[in-house]
Amino acid sequence: MKRLQVIDRDQCIGCFSCMFACSRSFYKALTTEKSAMRVRVYPGLEGAFSIRVCDACLEPDCASVCPTGALIKREKGGGVKLIEDKCIHCQKCIKACLIASLQWDREKKIPIPCRHCGICVQYCPNHVIGMVDMKEEEAVSHV
Amino acid sequence: MYKKIMEIDLTTQTSRVYTDEVLFDEFLGGTGVATELLHKHCDPAIDPLSPENPVIFAIGPFSNIYPVSTKTVAMFKSPLTGELGESHAGGRLAMAMYNAGLNAIVIKGKLDFKGYISIEDDKVEFRRAGTIWGKSSLATERILREAEKDREGKASIVRIGPAGERMSWFGAVTVDTQRHFGRLGLGAVFGSKNLKAMVVRGTRYETIQDFKKFKTIYDKIYKAVVESGEMKKYHDLGTSVNVVPLSKIGGLPTRNFSQGYFENAEEISGEAFAEKHLIQQIACAHCQCGCIHIGMLREEFSQGKEHMYKTFKVSYDHELVFSLGSNLSIKSPEHILRLLHITEKQGWDAITVGVVLAWATDAYQHGIIGDKETGGLALHFGDDKTYMEVLRRMRDHYNQFYSDLEKGADFCGNKYGGKDLAMVFGKNEAPGYMTGENAFLDWMAVGVRHSHLDSAGYSLDQKLLVEDIPLEKQMAKLVEESKFRMLLNSLVLCLFARNIYKTDIILEGLSALGIDWDPERINKFCDKVYKRKFEFKFACGFDIDQLELPGKLYRVKTASGKLDPDRVKERLRLFREIAGI
Repeated sequence: MKRLQVIDRDQCIGCFSCMFACSRSFYKALTTEKSAMRVRVYPGLEGAFSIRVCDACLEPDCASVCPTGALIKREKGGGVKLIEDKCIHCQKCIKACLIASLQWDREKKIPIPCRHCGICVQYCPNHVIGMVDMKEEEAVSHV
Repeated sequence: MYKKIMEIDLTTQTSRVYTDEVLFDEFLGGTGVATELLHKHCDPAIDPLSPENPVIFAIGPFSNIYPVSTKTVAMFKSPLTGELGESHAGGRLAMAMYNAGLNAIVIKGKLDFKGYISIEDDKVEFRRAGTIWGKSSLATERILREAEKDREGKASIVRIGPAGERMSWFGAVTVDTQRHFGRLGLGAVFGSKNLKAMVVRGTRYETIQDFKKFKTIYDKIYKAVVESGEMKKYHDLGTSVNVVPLSKIGGLPTRNFSQGYFENAEEISGEAFAEKHLIQQIACAHCQCGCIHIGMLREEFSQGKEHMYKTFKVSYDHELVFSLGSNLSIKSPEHILRLLHITEKQGWDAITVGVVLAWATDAYQHGIIGDKETGGLALHFGDDKTYMEVLRRMRDHYNQFYSDLEKGADFCGNKYGGKDLAMVFGKNEAPGYMTGENAFLDWMAVGVRHSHLDSAGYSLDQKLLVEDIPLEKQMAKLVEESKFRMLLNSLVLCLFARNIYKTDIILEGLSALGIDWDPERINKFCDKVYKRKFEFKFACGFDIDQLELPGKLYRVKTASGKLDPDRVKERLRLFREIAGI
């Protein structure tokens, strides 16, 4: 089972190529904002980026707090999936994800769960992120 | 493409957004569209520092969409040259404008308070900036990013430092992490409008119509950027990889263009910076190359009493290593970084500020200016401490002379004498190449914005070292390259990717966006945009027949030999004939 992970945030150049790839591939959208991950920029500290990708938690807090069961654990390997019809747009899931990896689709007012497909990895020029093989029991939080 | 323009009137604090299909269909975007907007909104007779001077920003059809299409074009009437002001910057501005659904922004008028504008999609807020007036360019970014952090989307922070507030004719506008609309004084125009900053963000996007076609060309460009080696130079050592090779051929301007060989070139080379100071390369939004080289300097600040350290980070590249290094005979990266840091905080154009210091030093050494002007400072090449003090005195307007230095070398040469020592081309201070006549002709006449990025004459000069090229063909190449860059700058690409974006790739990229052009249309387009710029320049009083190279250049040796006044004249004649100008 492969899962998206941050390999080395210090190698990030802040090009946002990963976010563009994610938005483009799933929404055909020419933006960074539909991406299921974020590269964050800190003001004043030139060159400091923080990469927030879904950690594929085995016991995901985002799903645990969902009042309607819209966000549910995937059967295998950690992470979550969304049953869109059940979502009541309360954003409890977003607040529950302390590492702020779960993203919010402002337009549709629903969370954007990461599929762990690895398209972002394919467009990272500096091996900041990677698809890492992991046993199920290992798929717990690493930040 | 949205084909949308936002017009902002600072005087009435109003704005409107409108669509102009015709304009974008004919002129694509970027420099093509901005030139037309300049013709529309700028009376060539106006004072550049009056409210009537428009500030125009434009992105192109490739912006935010394809790799390394990262630049935004700014256009205005230049306070430094009194004619076409055009400057390009990277950072996140192109992405932010795209996210706001805007292909161009036109700012006119003047705020009646010290303020900034905050753009989000179609909306503009006019906000007070009294508390940040006087703050450095670096602090302003930090403060505004925090002040605006709760709003939607990734923001681009576009602002001036104190130099722009003082309306220094070479005040820069800084974008995000130390990218700049550096040249030709846009910062002064911001200052004249009481405009400290422009924050842009948005929530808009377009969707891809033909995904397969788009992916094919996107991946082709992506692979070329990341894997082909075409951009290796830029992300590896960066442009300062040029320092030593240029010096070896006698093309690195040293001590105000006295010679092209710098005896300490290796100490300030790209390699030396990388070894001691480079901490990271970072990128503009949607550029996988990442050419922004951040240098770090750690300093002890308790004068040895304790172990107290401070650290600052500043971006560097070839032009700055030339202007604040070899051209001032500064042989230490530490000293260059210190001079750069104050320049960055003040928000001066770093090329111009170094060339101005070099003029002052040369003029002082020749007795043209003296202690009366400098307030007792003796100016010597290589004296970094005095240069730091000169910059402080410029910052503080210590006396009339230091105030005048903020107007550039051409102004000072006219006022104090020593005009032949002012390394200016069309009144704009020289970039870092002493390669020969093609570079100089490019900056003076052929290039529309007096920039080394207009047509790379420095590269042609270097070809002459190994190849005999007839004069007419040299001028034809300069003109051809200048014109082709009208297309690159309309798309708007970073010119570092010019070897990737050849005509066939550009046409394929346009086609995937539903814009079907052919090589003939490109040629006509380039010719038209080029000429439209000269129309504006001429209307401002730019006169090719009056152009002269700095006198000193006829007394020195460049990489491709001594200059010949008759040949320079012949080059100008050929230029007009070939370009149809």
